[in-house]
Amino acid sequence: MKKSSKKIDKTVRRFVIVPIVMCVAMCLLTVAVFYPTIAYLVPVGNMFLSDKQVDYSKAYDNIFVPTDNDSDTVDASEIDFPSINKQFGEIKIEGRDVYSKLFFGDGSVPLRNGVGVYAGSFIPGYGKTILIAGHNNTYFNGLKNVKKGDVVEINTSYGNYKYKITKTKIYNANSKESYDLKADKENLILYTCYPFDQLGLTEKRFFVYAKKISGPQIVGLYE
Amino acid sequence: MKIFKNETFLSVLYLILAFVMGICIFAFSIFTTLRLTVFTPGFLSETLNQSEYYTDLCDEITDSLMDIGDASGLDKSFFDNFVDEVLVREDVQSYIDAFYSGNSLKVDSSNFEKALKAALEKYEEDNGLDKKDFSEENINYFVEEASKIYVQNVELNYFPYIQEKAIKYTSKLNIYIAVTGVVMLISLLLIIFTNKWKHIAVRYIYYGTASSGLFMLLIPIVVFLSGVIDRITILTRSLNDMYTACINSVFTVILTVAILLIVVSALLWILHNVLRKRALN
Repeated sequence: MKKSSKKIDKTVRRFVIVPIVMCVAMCLLTVAVFYPTIAYLVPVGNMFLSDKQVDYSKAYDNIFVPTDNDSDTVDASEIDFPSINKQFGEIKIEGRDVYSKLFFGDGSVPLRNGVGVYAGSFIPGYGKTILIAGHNNTYFNGLKNVKKGDVVEINTSYGNYKYKITKTKIYNANSKESYDLKADKENLILYTCYPFDQLGLTEKRFFVYAKKISGPQIVGLYE
Repeated sequence: MKIFKNETFLSVLYLILAFVMGICIFAFSIFTTLRLTVFTPGFLSETLNQSEYYTDLCDEITDSLMDIGDASGLDKSFFDNFVDEVLVREDVQSYIDAFYSGNSLKVDSSNFEKALKAALEKYEEDNGLDKKDFSEENINYFVEEASKIYVQNVELNYFPYIQEKAIKYTSKLNIYIAVTGVVMLISLLLIIFTNKWKHIAVRYIYYGTASSGLFMLLIPIVVFLSGVIDRITILTRSLNDMYTACINSVFTVILTVAILLIVVSALLWILHNVLRKRALN
């Protein structure tokens, strides 16, 4: 019995332990030899890894819940601020065939599903420029009907806003005069490609300018 | 005592030889796997054919074209089945061929542009559009932008940056395979022909194959179990399909080679026992 157990011990040592020890030695040797050469690739590799499995679906999040809030101010701490590609409101111009979901960001997801606030501008209530883009073949096709004095309504979860159209103008796509993102007064700019209802891409843009007439001011932003 | 010392010395020497052989088997297998997979044009083409790459790529091109279509007065139905998967496959294949042969990585979009212009003409006819409804300039601008979208999607990201290195490594890999193969063979022959007892020689060969097999097994197991492949984040779904499919294929080959080495080791263990019994008799 003792002899047989000794034989098994020897077999295990020879045929199991030795290959495992050699395997561990190979691991250590490989790391010692190759790690200095490939160490710089580790951070590069990490750039292509996220914390969780990436989601390529075309779905978007909607944080818009209609509200009756008609107060003059809203505290920043009460606002669920939108992130890129999230629907956070709706926009309409009564009688002009403009009604759309309003997104934050003006990439492909917002413009396929509605219109979007340029992420370098501001959301309503900030007291600054709100620059909204939409396609002229879809949600902003109705901009061709707008007139000076029309009212643009923007409803968000934290308040409902109204802006009065002051003028419309056509600029080239690269024009720097078409908007001022540093303006200290809340102003709304809607824009789309121009001319409307024509085949082909154009370098001209149709701009609609409006000034705020009502809606809560966001307070406590920098506290 | 002297005999004991000699035996111990020889055992250590053979263990070192088996270790060197094991490392060479491992390196040889890894280099050969890489040479026959990522450094072979046929592998990438085959992997793309077997993955969802082309279906996703055509969907992505269609979506991007629809985006500029929304700004160009075109109905969404215009793009239904417009992107020709056969054409996309041909253009991607040409890009892969150029990558491996060291040629300039350019996508020829002339066939795509021709098809788009023809589809636009048909659209104008079908919708009874007059010349006043559009300008040639705007149509050409649309075709130009659509063509850019097509080219950007067909191009394989990061390939232009690694092309030169990949070609250099292909020739280096051949040298590494030859060197590790020769060292592996020399260690194997030394173990076989310098051992009086063949079962002992087989045992040392077993050490080499089993240890390299275990090491090779360890790598795909760590990669697959850590879920690192699922966390790869590349710009688009199609590119993600391509990179994950390639990585999965390479590690599957490594896993297969590891299992093969372990099976060979098991056979060597059996052979060792047979030869040992024969020697004792």
